[in-house]
Amino acid sequence: MGFTLVAPDQPKEACALLARSAPGEISVLAGGTDVLPDVEAGRVRPSRLLSLRRLPWRTLGWNGGSLTIGSTLPLREIEADPGVRERIPGLAQAVHAVGSLALRHRATLGGNLGRAAPTSDLLPILLTLDAVVNLVGVDASRSVPVDQFVVASRSTTLRPGELIASITIPEARPSQYVWQRVRPSNDISQVGVAAARASRPPYWRIALGGVVPRSIRLEGAERLLPAVRPLVSELEAAAALAARLAPFATDKRASEAYRRQLVGILVRRAVASISPPIVPPVGVA
Amino acid sequence: MGDSELVVNGRATALASVPEDERLLDTLRWRLGLRGTKEGCRSGDCGACVVLVDGRSTLSCLTLTHELPGASVTTIESISEDPVGRVVQDAFVAEGAVQCGYCTPGFVVALTGLLKELPPSAPLPELLDEMQGNLCRCTGYGSIVRAIVRAREATR
Repeated sequence: MGFTLVAPDQPKEACALLARSAPGEISVLAGGTDVLPDVEAGRVRPSRLLSLRRLPWRTLGWNGGSLTIGSTLPLREIEADPGVRERIPGLAQAVHAVGSLALRHRATLGGNLGRAAPTSDLLPILLTLDAVVNLVGVDASRSVPVDQFVVASRSTTLRPGELIASITIPEARPSQYVWQRVRPSNDISQVGVAAARASRPPYWRIALGGVVPRSIRLEGAERLLPAVRPLVSELEAAAALAARLAPFATDKRASEAYRRQLVGILVRRAVASISPPIVPPVGVA
Repeated sequence: MGDSELVVNGRATALASVPEDERLLDTLRWRLGLRGTKEGCRSGDCGACVVLVDGRSTLSCLTLTHELPGASVTTIESISEDPVGRVVQDAFVAEGAVQCGYCTPGFVVALTGLLKELPPSAPLPELLDEMQGNLCRCTGYGSIVRAIVRAREATR
C-alpha cells in the first residue's frame, strides 16, 4: 500500500502534522476499519497515516445526565457500558448495529462521524440525542452540534488541522434505534430510524438513516407528537408523515417504495417502544 | 515487554522488521508462517481472519501490525493452550462442525473470545447474534450452531 505511520502522543502535535500536510497526503487512522479498505482499493492514496492510538481519547465519562465519549474508544466499549445500556438504550442499540463484534472491538465513534457515510447507523441516534462534537485544532478548540458537523456524504465541517476529540450527549434520553437490512449483521441498513424522548417539550426527536446525502431529523413528524405518551392516532399520523417526508431514492439496496413502507413501520415501532401509545377507551366519542 | 514488539502465541516478535503498512493478517501468514489464520474477503465482512488481540476478537485483515505495540496476539495455532479454546475445539470436533474448513479457525477463535468476554449467564441468542460476523458457505450453520451450544454448556 506504501504509506508510513506516525503516532504522536499529544493532540496539538497531531493537529500540527495535519495542518502542515498537503491535501490527501495524510489520512487519519482511528480504528482503521474504513480507512484501510479505502487505501487498499485506491479510493485514497495517502503517503502517511496519522494514527490516533496514543492520544488520550479512549474515554467514557458521565457528568450527571451528560455523557462524553472519547473519539477513539472502541465501539464495543460503548455498548458494553451498563450506564449507556440503561440510560441511553438507543445508543447501545445503534452501536450494536455496526458491523460485527470483531469490527466493533476496533472501530470508533470518532471514525464513524469523521467518515460521515450516508448509511451510518450512528448518526441518526446522535441527531436525536442532540449530540455535540468536540474538536481540537492547532490554535483553538470548538464544539459543533452534530447536525451542523456532518454536511453531506463524506463531508464534514472539520477544518484543516482539526481532529474529533470527543462527542458529548447532553442528556441521557429514553431512546430506540431500529433498522431493516438483508442480513442482520455486517450489512448496511436499508433504513434506520432513531427516536428519543427529551425531558422537556418539545419531547420527541425522530431521525432517519440510509438517506442521501446524510441522515436527517424529521421535524414535521416530531411536531405531531406533542406529549410524552402519544395517542395511537397521533403516532399513526406521525409515522405516515415520516414516510412521506423521507427523501428516499432507489438504489442497489432497496427501492424507494419499499423504504417508505419501512419508515412508517419503524417510526411506529421506535416511538411505541419508548412510550406505549394511548388507546382511547372503546365507546368514548 | 516494550513498545517495540508484540507477542504472538507467547513469542515476542520485533516490530522493527515489519513494514509500517503491513496488516496483521499478512504478518501472521507470510512473515511468521502462521497460515491457520485465513484470508477470506480482506474487507472485514467474513470473519475468516479473526484472531484475539489482548483477548478480544479482532479482524486481522483490518488491523495494522504496528498499531499493536505491546499487545498479545492469539491465533488458531495456540488456541488449544487456552482452556476455553480447547473446549471450543472439542465442541467443533464433536459436532462435526466443519466442511471445507476454511472458515473454521475464524469461528473457533471468535467463539473462544466471545465465551471469555460475555458473562456465563449470557443467553444463547446473544451468543448466536455476536457470532454473525463469521460466515460459512458450506455447512448451512446447523452443525456450527450445535457446536456453539455445546461449547456454551461446557463452559458454564
